[in-house]
Amino acid sequence: MKRFFKIFKVAFQSINKNRTRSLLTVLGIIIGVGAVIMTISAGEGATMQVQNQISGLGTNLLMIQTKSEHKAGINVRMGRPIDKKDFDILQKNSVWMPMLSPLVAIGAQAIGPSGYKSTMVYGVSYDYFYISSRELESGSFFTEEDVRTAKKYCVIGETIREELFPGQDPIGRQIRIDKVPFTVVGLLKSEGSGGMGQDMDDIVVAPYTTIQNRIFGHRRGYNMIVASALSEDHIVDAKIEATELLRESHKIKDDDEDDFEIMTQIELQEITRNITGILTILLGAIASISLIVGGIGIMNIMLVSVTERTREIGTRLAIGARESDILTQFLIEAIVLSLAGGVLGVILGIVGNQIIYRVTDFYIPTAIYSILIGFGFSALVGVAFGYFPARKAAKLNPIDALRYE
Amino acid sequence: MSSKKVIETKKLCRVFKNGEIEVHALTDVDLVINEGEFVAIMGASGSGKSTLLHIIGCLDRSTSGEYYLDNVWVNKLDKNKLADIRNQKIGFIFQSYNLLSRTTALENVELPLIYNRTGQFLNSKELAKKALEQVGLSDRIYHKTNELSGGQQQRVAIARALVNNPTLILADEPTGNLDSKSSFDIADLFVQLNNQGKTIVMITHEPEIAQFAKRMIYLRDGRILTDKVIENRSNKEFALKELEKPVPSIKEQL
Repeated sequence: MKRFFKIFKVAFQSINKNRTRSLLTVLGIIIGVGAVIMTISAGEGATMQVQNQISGLGTNLLMIQTKSEHKAGINVRMGRPIDKKDFDILQKNSVWMPMLSPLVAIGAQAIGPSGYKSTMVYGVSYDYFYISSRELESGSFFTEEDVRTAKKYCVIGETIREELFPGQDPIGRQIRIDKVPFTVVGLLKSEGSGGMGQDMDDIVVAPYTTIQNRIFGHRRGYNMIVASALSEDHIVDAKIEATELLRESHKIKDDDEDDFEIMTQIELQEITRNITGILTILLGAIASISLIVGGIGIMNIMLVSVTERTREIGTRLAIGARESDILTQFLIEAIVLSLAGGVLGVILGIVGNQIIYRVTDFYIPTAIYSILIGFGFSALVGVAFGYFPARKAAKLNPIDALRYE
Repeated sequence: MSSKKVIETKKLCRVFKNGEIEVHALTDVDLVINEGEFVAIMGASGSGKSTLLHIIGCLDRSTSGEYYLDNVWVNKLDKNKLADIRNQKIGFIFQSYNLLSRTTALENVELPLIYNRTGQFLNSKELAKKALEQVGLSDRIYHKTNELSGGQQQRVAIARALVNNPTLILADEPTGNLDSKSSFDIADLFVQLNNQGKTIVMITHEPEIAQFAKRMIYLRDGRILTDKVIENRSNKEFALKELEKPVPSIKEQL
């Protein structure tokens, strides 16, 4: 035990006396570990956020829209547009979908007294607020009656308020969308950024009738119909039901394919899971590269110092160190450096995640397994490249180690 | 003087294989060195003197032949035993010092004690200080090796060789990198250590340094050519005087 302590001291002296080398080794490990933790955690964070966002929409959501196909990079509508007739049929006959709302969307500029902002304007009916499970910060939603009479009312998100009414209460004030004045009746509770990084508060919601009459100037169909199923268990029932009703409405023959698409919340989750899965793989690849780069850095420093160290080992052997003494010393050195670098790297990763959170509001939970991967790999590289050249040198005849060039 | 054998070799051979070529560095070397001797080994480059010293110092192994150190049959020992012998019985001094860089004189001298497994040296710092005192470096204890002159570094190396109180001190051209004055100081130090009873084997190129020893062995092509007792031993004063001799002749030329 006393021997071990002595060798331990020797190892620490050696680290201390070669500060530059030690620092560079530790730096390589710090960067490797930190980069891995940050990239993996970012992937995890994105996945989590997307999932939260989607379940935040309510797991009962169904989206009914015209079938579209990707052609040359753009979505081309393939079937008959979803229109009022479809909506009425669904509303009248549906058993499993108690809540239905048309949805028309348009990108437009919203102009307020103190600013303006390009945003998405959604035209919906009153049910939308339940379907999308959005809540109010202040004011009220527009009513079923307002929708029927196409009142120029709107509900805005927090981002719009900030731009158009900085530091002011927007309720009862007017904004203009495509030259049409709307009265703000409600302010949505802030939801932060969405899963894909879009701002969920950068939104204006108005009665779909008003949007159609005043902005589109026609009533030729909707972008989609959003609906919520009676409960999560009945999403499949709701989908089958909607499919049957719409096939009937669109007069589609039994052998023909649907000219519309119904996306449920579950499918949406599946898609986003795929996307975030790819994202995680991508970030994992970046993390692996940073690991390899960090690893090569560590390796280089260790290998470059082999000549000097081999002579040192020769000297130590010549004055009576056993092979095991040398190995213990170098193992301790490698472990201490790897541990120090690993711990600092973990701190760097966690702090880095926090900084990103503070700066961008993008919450990154530090994934435990990223710590393990980063730490484990760096420690492995550090120990392997610190230990194995030393082992080779310690096995030499002392005189060969001394002569090593 | 007792006649206890410290070193005994029988038909010692060392062959280096470099691909196809075999180099016979040592051939059939029979050598006995007794306790208290001060032996200088001389010879041209490639005569095998370093190889001989490395084998004696357990830094290398012979290809064939027998080697007894302090009546221990070294050929039979494993690596760890050899390490222990290097640690406890031998103090080795190199031409290029082989001190640890960025390390103080004291720490360098302490090093052999760290690897000592007998546990008999508890106060390693004290012993290291004493060894440095012995070589006249007590005022340089905390200097790092790169802050010392060549002669001082070699003294640190000698102190390191002495610290474990070894049976045998081996020096491989200890004055090879030093100026004449420092060389004589080192040689004088060896004489003092020898007078204290240390057995010393020293390789040197310089006849005036070899003259400090009691016995001289001359090697050629891996064999012992001559082995004789030195009649009129040199000492520091004499060597320094000799050193000054050519100076007037230069003055005369001027």
